[in-house]
Amino acid sequence: MTQAAASHPILDPVFAPPFPQAALPVLRNPQLRKNVAHAIDVIQAKRAKLVAEKTDWQELRSSASAIRAHALENLGAYLEEFETRCTAAGGTVHWAADAPEARQIILDILRRENATDVIKIKTMTSAEIQLNPILEAAGVNVFETDLAEIILQLGEEEPSHIVVPALHINRSQVREIFSRRMGLKDLSDDPHALTAAARNYLRQKFLTIPTAISGANFLIAETGGVAVVESEGNGRMCLTLPRTMITLAGIEKVLPRFQDLEVMLQVLARSATGERMNPYNSLWTGVTPGDGPLNFHVVLLDNGRSSILSKPTERQTLKCIRCAACMNACPVYRQTGGHAYGSVYPGPIGAILTPQLTQMRHAQSLPFASSLCGACYEVCPVKINIPEVLLELRSQVVNQERKDLVRLFDPMYLGLRIANLLFARAWLFHTAQFLGRIGIRFFTRKDGWIHSLPSVGGKWTQTRDLRGFPKQTFHEWWASRPPAPGPALNKEAK
Amino acid sequence: MSANLAAPGQSRQQILDRIRVATRPVAQNAPQLPDAYAALPRNYIRHGALPALARIALMIERLREYDADVVESSLGALPAAIATQLAASGKHTFVAPPGLPTEWLAAGFGWKIDNSLTTAEIERAEGVVTEAFCGVADSGTIVLHHGPAEGRRVLTLLPDWHLCILRASQVVETLPEYFDRCQQRPVLATTISGPSATADIEMTRIKGVHGPRFLHVILVRDEI
Repeated sequence: MTQAAASHPILDPVFAPPFPQAALPVLRNPQLRKNVAHAIDVIQAKRAKLVAEKTDWQELRSSASAIRAHALENLGAYLEEFETRCTAAGGTVHWAADAPEARQIILDILRRENATDVIKIKTMTSAEIQLNPILEAAGVNVFETDLAEIILQLGEEEPSHIVVPALHINRSQVREIFSRRMGLKDLSDDPHALTAAARNYLRQKFLTIPTAISGANFLIAETGGVAVVESEGNGRMCLTLPRTMITLAGIEKVLPRFQDLEVMLQVLARSATGERMNPYNSLWTGVTPGDGPLNFHVVLLDNGRSSILSKPTERQTLKCIRCAACMNACPVYRQTGGHAYGSVYPGPIGAILTPQLTQMRHAQSLPFASSLCGACYEVCPVKINIPEVLLELRSQVVNQERKDLVRLFDPMYLGLRIANLLFARAWLFHTAQFLGRIGIRFFTRKDGWIHSLPSVGGKWTQTRDLRGFPKQTFHEWWASRPPAPGPALNKEAK
Repeated sequence: MSANLAAPGQSRQQILDRIRVATRPVAQNAPQLPDAYAALPRNYIRHGALPALARIALMIERLREYDADVVESSLGALPAAIATQLAASGKHTFVAPPGLPTEWLAAGFGWKIDNSLTTAEIERAEGVVTEAFCGVADSGTIVLHHGPAEGRRVLTLLPDWHLCILRASQVVETLPEYFDRCQQRPVLATTISGPSATADIEMTRIKGVHGPRFLHVILVRDEI
């Protein structure tokens, strides 16, 4: 990995290095780890308090899970219903099979509008299809409007979390970025001053730029409505002021009925930011004369989602409502932050979503980036059994690798085949053990620990030490123990 | 970009076909779909148990936790209460939706009624006064359906100061109770839970980013 790549990770699963390798720069960066741990601790504490006060939390989770599962099982019917209603309300629905098609649809709309600038509400889906670089290359200036996204855009940083994407950047780093890019020499690092700077930077853009792009939290099949959940009001600005509005949404975002929001909004805010309700939710349906944009487009994005639907275990991945509770709870994410996952979707949900979105062709190290502790499943508001999906994907990765002829000579697979042979025969096992114990002495330091092993053993020692082997094996100790404790035990029993 | 793009409509069919094949073992037939939906478990709390006074007290407490300013008023004293709030705000120019009762537009202030005001005119106003559709006590949430007395969406967005008149009869305890009041599904809806805020820098909650920085509520005791 080059220095540039280390400081500016590419969140593209096609090019990202394997997780253990990508995590190393973070593990060696104490400032970054401190920033991530602080943010996570704050959200976790707030979430725990507000979930505890909700006496029907488990019932809400069960309903949220059932509604999302039902919507996915009947996705075709609900998407068509959404399309019909949205179109009847004056919206235009587009379907994009993959990322290039979604980008082309959006570019075509912008060209027809002669758009030179767009304002954007935070959308991870647009990051998934790498929309911004394509728009910039086509001569469209993109202005992110969510505070965290402004920090990332101006600082040329990558998102490391799906709800608070700039959580790895602290206030003095934000001050440096804003003062450099906004030309504000005397800016202080007080979050109030930094937030005010963002407000001033964007105000005229909101009032003058006639084209906006958003994501969607929910699509409502029953009404053709779209819901966006936010805090700052930048979303309301983008949804209300421009002439033309484009919403990019994954096909899995659909809910059957308007009333389903009574469950989703309750679990989403508490899980995502630890609030009883986030400051603003906006719901709109097509085009409303006299209120908001005159042109409204929805781009429904597949990009690998429909292939996840067919498998019963993996289908639950698509229930996700992007609250990020799983990454906040994850002991691995807490140590590595988001960039190590090499995807805009980090953490446990990213570990199962990213490889599946690439049809298991990339990001194959991610299903292993977990201790399977289950904390993610426990906090998930829609009850995605992430450990179950992780295990399923692990077995798929291993089965794929076994078919690969190169693996015949891979030290790990070779080692496992040899182990298979040895463990089946006691005399071979004891011989191998005897030889191995002699061999391991060469790697055991004076402090009794093994700090570094060659080849496949290095996978263990690159992140942790291994205690040196004791002088005796258990078998040797058992054979040499003092004789006949049996009768003594019997006596005691009487 | 030399993407090999499908003709319009082709991707639609392709995606829907893929979904159909993938969900064939689990998807309901169209006639059974409403029943399958109706059978989904909904054992969460639908109706609150608080008596009316406690419900209003909870609404006020939760609003104040968001740093919203709340005062109470009787229906008769409302115009005077509004005038007091306006005077205390230190602002002079206000916008109001066309459906707001004219007796609420206190004398001595500059009023512009939103009969197709331009964005620039709304941006120049220092404050806005509106009604609401509903209040949800459990989360301290105000819901606007953008009717004639609630104003267009932009009206409650650009001015920095928002005074919202909420009647006690509009306050429900739980979020599902609000949905029960939506027999007619809203075309537009905005929920407001405190002034606009962000926690994007070190998770420090900062009040007032792009939406109104000041939220004031007058709770009108119209039923209790």
